[in-house]
Amino acid sequence: MATICYEDLETGFRLAPVDKGRISTSHIMRWSAAVENWHRIHYDYRFATEHDKLPDVLINGSWKQHVLVQLVKDGLGAGGWLWKMKFRYKKMDIAGDSLRATAEVTDRQVVAGLGFVTLRILLLNQKDEVSTAGFAIGVVPLRGGPAVPYPFVKKPEYQDIRLPADD
Amino acid sequence: MQAAEPKAEDFAKYIGMTGTPKVAHMPLERDSLRRFVQAIMDQDRLYFDEAYAKGSRYGGIVATPLYPVHAFRSPAGSADRLNTVQADPDADGTDSSDGAYSSLPKIESAFKRLLNGGNEIEFYRCLAVGEICIATPKYANVQLKHGKSGSMLLVTIETEYRTQAGDLLLVNVQTLIWR
Repeated sequence: MATICYEDLETGFRLAPVDKGRISTSHIMRWSAAVENWHRIHYDYRFATEHDKLPDVLINGSWKQHVLVQLVKDGLGAGGWLWKMKFRYKKMDIAGDSLRATAEVTDRQVVAGLGFVTLRILLLNQKDEVSTAGFAIGVVPLRGGPAVPYPFVKKPEYQDIRLPADD
Repeated sequence: MQAAEPKAEDFAKYIGMTGTPKVAHMPLERDSLRRFVQAIMDQDRLYFDEAYAKGSRYGGIVATPLYPVHAFRSPAGSADRLNTVQADPDADGTDSSDGAYSSLPKIESAFKRLLNGGNEIEFYRCLAVGEICIATPKYANVQLKHGKSGSMLLVTIETEYRTQAGDLLLVNVQTLIWR
């Protein structure tokens, strides 16, 4: 696959979305078991609805973070690097919701020979409601320029490259 | 008797306090990683295909960039974390030793309700198979705020995740809101 370069990521460009489909209680249980998160609001319907007065068991916020990471990682390709990410939870997601993540380039700049793109990142449900929102900064090479170093190293020249304030 | 109004100076002493580094009891294993990436539904070959990963810039199988925050599990022989559920049918199943920042001193306050105010993460490197993750938390800021709906305590915890060799993996800045 061709390396994704700074020149490919104009402002307004949308990365390929990540669509996880309908997230069932089985998916939630699989995640809770994988990370040994035993909080009952994620798998015990009676506890979630009767004790904690929630509408259903909740899809874990920690799981949703990884969907956003995958979105940017995959969207920047094998030569890019997800440097920074911030997000806030706006709404609960419950068992049975269908979730997909989107990212759009909102700003870009070249610093010290590398391309830095700011992305608006969203996690949406089947009703197009935003449940998690934030921003990311990805680093990609310039066409014909040096590769993004791995491990990524923060240089003094990058100090003014900041994530946007919350909206 | 009414509780005294909290004052900003009550909380300033916490700023800069660092917790004991939390060391994952096991190095990253391929099978744990398999379960993890299946659960997040990410089929990137970097996470399971050795030949593919060797040919990448990573030089071998690595975990997802955000994996280190989940690298800490209960070691064999430790207290059963589900004891609380047996003892109390209303227990929520969580444990006070959960989380990478559990070693920070508890902030004494009358605030009861905890909300997640968001995360800001910087990534530098992925944890590789065979490496051990170490997390060191710090109170970056503890700030009392007064709003229309009353007082709240904004607690910013900055946690550095490194390998046992000291390589920086990521920095997670989490804001907690106590009301």
